[in-house]
Amino acid sequence: MSDSVYDLSQLEELGGGDMDFVNMMVATFLEHTPGQLEEMKKAHASGDWATLGSIAHKIKPNVDMFGINTIVQDIRDLEQMGKAGESGPDMDSKLAKVDQELNKAFVALSER
Amino acid sequence: MRIFLLEDNELYARRLEYHLALNPENEVRRFSNANSFLAHLHEAPDCVLLDYGLPDKSGTEVLKLIKEYDAELPVLIVSGQEDVSTAVDLLREGAYDYIVKDDNTQDKIWKAINNLRETVSMRKELSELRAELSTRYDFQKIMGLSEEIQKVHKLIAKAAQTNISVSIIGETGTGKELVAKAIHYNSPNSKRPLVSINLSAIPSDLIEGELFGHEAGAFTGAHNRRIGKFEEANGGTLFLDEIGELDLNIQAKLLRVLQEREIYRLGSNKPIKINCRVIVATHRNLAQEVREGRFREDLYYRILGMPIELPPLRKRGADKLLLAKHFLSTFTKENRLPGLKLSKAAQERIMAYPWPGNVRELKAVIELACVLAEKGIIEEKDLNYNSVSDEMDNLVDEGLSLKEYNRRIIQHYLKKYQNNVVQVAQKLEVGKSTLYRMIKNKELNIN
Repeated sequence: MSDSVYDLSQLEELGGGDMDFVNMMVATFLEHTPGQLEEMKKAHASGDWATLGSIAHKIKPNVDMFGINTIVQDIRDLEQMGKAGESGPDMDSKLAKVDQELNKAFVALSER
Repeated sequence: MRIFLLEDNELYARRLEYHLALNPENEVRRFSNANSFLAHLHEAPDCVLLDYGLPDKSGTEVLKLIKEYDAELPVLIVSGQEDVSTAVDLLREGAYDYIVKDDNTQDKIWKAINNLRETVSMRKELSELRAELSTRYDFQKIMGLSEEIQKVHKLIAKAAQTNISVSIIGETGTGKELVAKAIHYNSPNSKRPLVSINLSAIPSDLIEGELFGHEAGAFTGAHNRRIGKFEEANGGTLFLDEIGELDLNIQAKLLRVLQEREIYRLGSNKPIKINCRVIVATHRNLAQEVREGRFREDLYYRILGMPIELPPLRKRGADKLLLAKHFLSTFTKENRLPGLKLSKAAQERIMAYPWPGNVRELKAVIELACVLAEKGIIEEKDLNYNSVSDEMDNLVDEGLSLKEYNRRIIQHYLKKYQNNVVQVAQKLEVGKSTLYRMIKNKELNIN
């Protein structure tokens, strides 16, 4: 594991030592989440807060599952802000952080 | 338990699927949108796990559609929203449970599914009882008063008392599946499942998977674990229809399974014990197939058990009329038609015709006649035979005298040429006087 960008212990526990399961989950994460992140950034750029909120809602359980602990709260905040339509500098910085941490996780997970 | 999982978050779905499949009794199928899920709803899941927030339809809409299809199918809603009013609405609409996505979701689902198990088995038992009721009714249809069918009846009763293997031999349309049902539903295992499979209806490369099941990833396209027919029939009866159509290499595998009483799901090396009665049926002469090398001799002896031969309808004497009247009254009742009677000529025709398609053909002919009949009487002309077998064979099978065949042929031509005796006499190269004499003696009918 590289500097706690992610933590697979929850998945490993669920898999009970079945590494094929963990590998399959990682591959699925890497296949789907980058696209979702891009969509969320697009929604942000076009001021579509509702879509941003709903994508954050989808990414949320994946962040939890892969133990990307630095953004556990931020992704929830984005979901709530999107739902409530509260944009602003807070949203911008949280999205930037989520973007950065997820990208770190993508790299680290694909190199593991 | 067959669980349909409708969840658009692929990761979440896979995680739940993995978790639920830890119980080998669970068979999980994933769907990522409502439309593909609804297209497979007829495959009879035991329960549905439904994500509330789907891309193409709301959870409420999907729940309504499921309930319209099968009001008793349990649906567990899994939602990322902790919205009490939505939850209450969904429960009011008939959702079995409402589970909020959080760290404990999978444990909650596991628990809910375990609780459901009992409900599901009660549901299954109920539908089996219903099937049993309708099968008892079906059983009446293979009844008849002829000696041949009474013999079959006695054999069914004997077979039902034990779990001996049974082989049913009979032409198409003689009611082989009804015999299998009658044996099962009158046996001590009648509460357990009766699983039927028509081996001629499945491509040979899929038969193994159907019979023995497969593990996820056993072959391309096998995304989920699937239980085979042998496992599904556990404790009950497996009915293998058209056994004579089975490929030789599958015959070898089937023989091994029947000898060892255990199966291996495709892609697994873990043996699974099986415990079900096997009933087979075929329209072929299996002994002949063995002699000609198309059927394994060892398998033949293994499945023969108690052979029950179903007589063709043409050898069942007065049963033809009995069954015709039975189909007539059932059809008129079902369709709220006024009472219909069979004319004398129609009755004679039913008795004389060789019925190559057997009871199935008789039923179809009678139902059509009920629709065509006028003035409350089914005439001979209302009986339309669309037999696919050779007309000459059928004619000869009727076993009439040459005199009667002559009469039939002349009658046919008279009808064809609008009772023009001169024309018919020329066509058939017989004397006009012969025809006039036959008309006078009422051997021919020109009305």
